[in-house]
Amino acid sequence: MLNYVIRRILATIPVMAVVALFVFSLLYIAPGDPAAVIAGDQATPADVERIRQSLGLDRPFLVRFGEWVWQILHGDLGTSIFTNLPVADLIGQRIEPTLSLMVVTLILAVSIAVPIGVLAAWKADTLIDRAVMAFAVLGFSVPVFVVGYLLAYVFALELDWLPVQGYTQLRNGLWPWLANLILPAIALGFVYIALIARVTRATMLEVLQQDYIRTARAKGMGQSGILFLHALKNAAVPIVTVIGIGIALLIGGAVVTESVFAIPGIGRLTVDAILRRDYPVIQGIVLLFSVVYVLVNLLIDLLYTLLDPRIRY
Amino acid sequence: MSSPSQATALATAEAVTAAAAPAFAAAPELPDIWPPVRVRRGLIGFLWRHPAIAVGGALVATMLVIALLAPWLGTVDPTALAPARRTREPSAAFWFGTDMLGRDIYSRVLYGARVSLGVGFSVALLASIAGLTIGLVSGFFRWADGFIMRVMDGMMSIPPILLAIALMALTRGSVGNVITAITIAEVPRVSRLVRGVVLTLREQPYVDAAVAAGTRTGTILLRHILPNTVAPMTVQATYVCASAMIVEAILSFIGAGTPPTIPSWGNIMAEGRALWQVKPYIVFFPAFFLSLTVLAVNLLGDGLRDALDPRMMKRL
Repeated sequence: MLNYVIRRILATIPVMAVVALFVFSLLYIAPGDPAAVIAGDQATPADVERIRQSLGLDRPFLVRFGEWVWQILHGDLGTSIFTNLPVADLIGQRIEPTLSLMVVTLILAVSIAVPIGVLAAWKADTLIDRAVMAFAVLGFSVPVFVVGYLLAYVFALELDWLPVQGYTQLRNGLWPWLANLILPAIALGFVYIALIARVTRATMLEVLQQDYIRTARAKGMGQSGILFLHALKNAAVPIVTVIGIGIALLIGGAVVTESVFAIPGIGRLTVDAILRRDYPVIQGIVLLFSVVYVLVNLLIDLLYTLLDPRIRY
Repeated sequence: MSSPSQATALATAEAVTAAAAPAFAAAPELPDIWPPVRVRRGLIGFLWRHPAIAVGGALVATMLVIALLAPWLGTVDPTALAPARRTREPSAAFWFGTDMLGRDIYSRVLYGARVSLGVGFSVALLASIAGLTIGLVSGFFRWADGFIMRVMDGMMSIPPILLAIALMALTRGSVGNVITAITIAEVPRVSRLVRGVVLTLREQPYVDAAVAAGTRTGTILLRHILPNTVAPMTVQATYVCASAMIVEAILSFIGAGTPPTIPSWGNIMAEGRALWQVKPYIVFFPAFFLSLTVLAVNLLGDGLRDALDPRMMKRL
């Protein structure tokens, strides 16, 4: 067991290395001259040269990559071209809203998606099942900002139940914080719910056909006990896996959700950085989120042994 | 259980025998237990059996027609400014209203279909070609597999939208660069799929036979392996197309995509964002078209998946 944990942790090192190398080499892969693009159309040749030097594009690739990795290992994600502040600080200031949004979305999505997926599998080939599957197709098709605007229009503008936009810090009270996050979380979670519900249904359909389910039914166990105590346990591994993989959807979607609902988080930082062509900020955000994504999926891999004792390594 | 058509055929056969040999009594007419099944053949039959393909295909075709015929569908110049008639509500003259620069939203939405479909189809095509090449090499040549898949794993660890944003931040906004950025973000997933298919195919006896017969590796790949990846690849390509259209709209919406001079659904929504609380129609018309198109492509993909791989049917 411990052996497995260590091996699994070591196995993420090459992945992280590839992520770092790839994020770093984007500067070199991009067609054209990135320094000129970042400097903008009105820049003088001196400006372009200054940016080229600050990005390290004037020095050899491997030397620059080594320095960059060394800085990152010391917690230095670079310096913003526009504000001259460390990228790590900029991200630190904006992390709370984004983290809040993601956690609320995750909880909301899982607590909606798993029950409707189970329900669809139990009532397979009925109207309920069709409705869940139709919802899933819709979830994959309606982009996050469209859901966001629709929700904001109906529940904030027309019905006036929840705030239209903005963010309140958690220390100002639980309800104001949550009220601002409900609509963004539903919008962001829409495709995520569709994904988890679909996988839950597919896995549950397989599990429900197994012999031990028939045994449980024969001994007179109640339907909810069969579904949630017996079947769901055995369907847990694929469901948890897709929850982990789907985090990528949350990360990408958060950028857009935050601009729709005017939430001052990392998504807004990204959009501002795009408008100002502040590449070090974007690079820092991409690297940070990718590392978080790899770590979350590592954690989930390690969870498998807890979820399913049959898995031994 | 014999099908009703067989039963009828049997009855006819017996009737014929009975007629040929009058010594026997004529066989009693067998009752029709089931009404005759109408077997639909050809394209109509195929579409009848796969309604998702019919509906999705028809919607995609409609969008294609709209995109191609945009100049002849009662549109005006989508970039023509008219400050005198800014932010008009939808009316007989301006079907979808006008935006804050007085541009006709109906025309902009119709022309926007060109960008969305163009990006979707191009990315699907390019990502398929690149993914097929990488997947074939990685799945067939074991020595290359480890290295290629580690690189793909690394690329897949970067959330696709962020990867596309980073690439767009380094290049000038143009439709070509949007296509390149989204393609780079989609290739790893396609490669993984193709590699998985190739790994099972190369264990097939007919591939062993081809190797034993001394067939050159290139020929094996192109003649024996590649054709069998077409079905899963086609399904995957439709999903890539749908996802690319969403990513393009997201990039344009946050200002990292198609340049503002070209009307695309994401751009129209981005421009309507400032006013959306008072003039929601500016956002909702392009949003509706975008969602409908992506839905159509997804339906087409689901239908193709069920039609091409009956084992997968009903599972997901």
